[in-house]
Amino acid sequence: MKFAYFHLMPYTGKKDETTDWPVANKLFDPALGKQLYDTYLESMVQAEAAGFDWLGCNEHHMSPYGMMANPNIVAATLIPRTTTASLAVMGQLVPLLNPIRVAEEYAMLDVMSGGRVIAGLLRGIPHEYVAYNIPPDESHGRLSEAIDLIIKAWTEPEPFGWEGEFYQYRAVSIWPRPMQKPYPRIMMSCSNEVSARVAAQKGAMFGLANLQNFNHARKLMQAYREEAKDHGWEPTPEDFVIALTASIDEDIDLAKERLTEGRRYFANVLGGGLRTAQKIVLQKTRYMDDDTRSKFQGADKQAKISVDDLINEGIVVCGTPEMAVEQIKRVHGELGMGNVNINMKVGNIPDIAITNQIKIFGEKILPQLKHL
Amino acid sequence: MAYSQHTADLAQGSVTYHKAGSGRPLLYLHSGGGFMETKAVQTLAEHFTVFAPVAPGFQGTAMLDGVDSIKSLADLWATFIDDVIGAAPADVLGYSFGGYTAAWLAAGHPDKVDQLLLQAPAGLAPGGGSGIPDDPKERVTMLYKYPDRMPEGIQPGANYAQNRKAIKQYIKTGYDEDLVTRLDDIVSLSLIVLGTDDKLVPQATGQLLKEKLNRVHFIYVYDAGHGLEIDQPDRVAELARDFFTRGEAFLVNAGRDGANVTTR
Repeated sequence: MKFAYFHLMPYTGKKDETTDWPVANKLFDPALGKQLYDTYLESMVQAEAAGFDWLGCNEHHMSPYGMMANPNIVAATLIPRTTTASLAVMGQLVPLLNPIRVAEEYAMLDVMSGGRVIAGLLRGIPHEYVAYNIPPDESHGRLSEAIDLIIKAWTEPEPFGWEGEFYQYRAVSIWPRPMQKPYPRIMMSCSNEVSARVAAQKGAMFGLANLQNFNHARKLMQAYREEAKDHGWEPTPEDFVIALTASIDEDIDLAKERLTEGRRYFANVLGGGLRTAQKIVLQKTRYMDDDTRSKFQGADKQAKISVDDLINEGIVVCGTPEMAVEQIKRVHGELGMGNVNINMKVGNIPDIAITNQIKIFGEKILPQLKHL
Repeated sequence: MAYSQHTADLAQGSVTYHKAGSGRPLLYLHSGGGFMETKAVQTLAEHFTVFAPVAPGFQGTAMLDGVDSIKSLADLWATFIDDVIGAAPADVLGYSFGGYTAAWLAAGHPDKVDQLLLQAPAGLAPGGGSGIPDDPKERVTMLYKYPDRMPEGIQPGANYAQNRKAIKQYIKTGYDEDLVTRLDDIVSLSLIVLGTDDKLVPQATGQLLKEKLNRVHFIYVYDAGHGLEIDQPDRVAELARDFFTRGEAFLVNAGRDGANVTTR
């Protein structure tokens, strides 16, 4: 099993609980921001040294929730500081962007890193559509067409044109082409059945960022497998990525306390504004089909569940290193995924604790799980 | 769409107003230049029933006893909403001088105002802001980025002296500290619109309102001076239409065909 160390890069200087969206950026202190970027990037470098196979970043806009408006900048920064870890951009929010630019930047990263890119191509969460003034109703259509166009841009040896529903180009021939052949592995978010089937149609990896419960995950994985079969291929464990939040300490109570406070801070201080914009989008557009509604209801419900209940459900990694090993084994036993995406920096969990957790992972957890 | 002129007899006195269109009522409060049937104002009447009263003292009308301040003018418009529009709370769009009045209307009579659009509102320029030159050429240069876009038949300088006299009756300061302390009383979903090249109302006014109001969005109209309705009539009319039609959902792009537009 492979392990990703994922970072959302939250801005932890914000103290008040607010529901305004967007949050006024007068609250952003650039000096603190610089310090946070340094700390977060250093933790990613540390994670590679500790044995993590991937380093993960992603894209969010106009929010203290995550400071990566362009995750490719983070990935590019990591290239000279790391050597072997895959750079998993999970991902770029394709419907918001110019797909040719997405293809170009991923190709640049892939060449510069010597073929270490995992290319996340995601739809994004509702507020991003307000931020970039893209019609939410078009999100599925744009994502599907853009992925086909991006693959074409990566693989076509001769200049070509594209006349689509959402994108039109008279001539495309990107420089550079990617290093990986035929192109970098694509990952898509599969938090609802529609998305899982689209991912299978595109031959993308199955990514599940929000593990609500095992039955829900199995249902999505099954839909993905069925769709893949219909499209002539059979997924292996390496095609599945399950994200897990982790809070590890030799002191179990401390691990729980940190996660409890981190989740509160994340939901109420960093995420209050997002929910405001999300509510507008979900109420006023067709962004949300039944599956998506279920996803957001599940996420909201999960945010209110106690850490102890999450532990009992088996959908979080929290406790001593020994407990963490057993918890990850349990998830593997239930779902059989080949990749785990670990997020340790939940809200305002102190960075010194994150440094310690990475060390513990490297010394006591990864060696016992990599063979799975 | 042409406006018709009417007279309303209110408790405070007789008021002239213009009216056009159909649909949801919209109270339009004119700028210091008086009521002008700009393209933007005409477009509004394609979507709403627009009521555009003339502030007493403007455009040949008489001042009314007891209506001698922005606050009392706002009280007059509260009466107008009840007695003429007859559908409180009403949506309100105030432009410049009218925006100042509209802010007082929403602060003093929150039950009368539904959604509020303040278009380059006067009276809230930190430091007091700039005065309007009396010289016609200088005035046009200051107010409009594209004065050549002034539609035929509209004379922004008409009744200038009388309008100016009325403004001086109503406005005592370029920065109304009393209003600033009352902004928190405004409960309306609000939109602040400001031209990127406004030489009269500073960007600080928009920033102040964005900071102080409870439910507010702030939008710059690119390539427009203070005379937004002349410089960029289509942009300001579309913003107003979208805001008053969709409410808070106007934040969300409605798509190419607008087929899934959710209205209020």
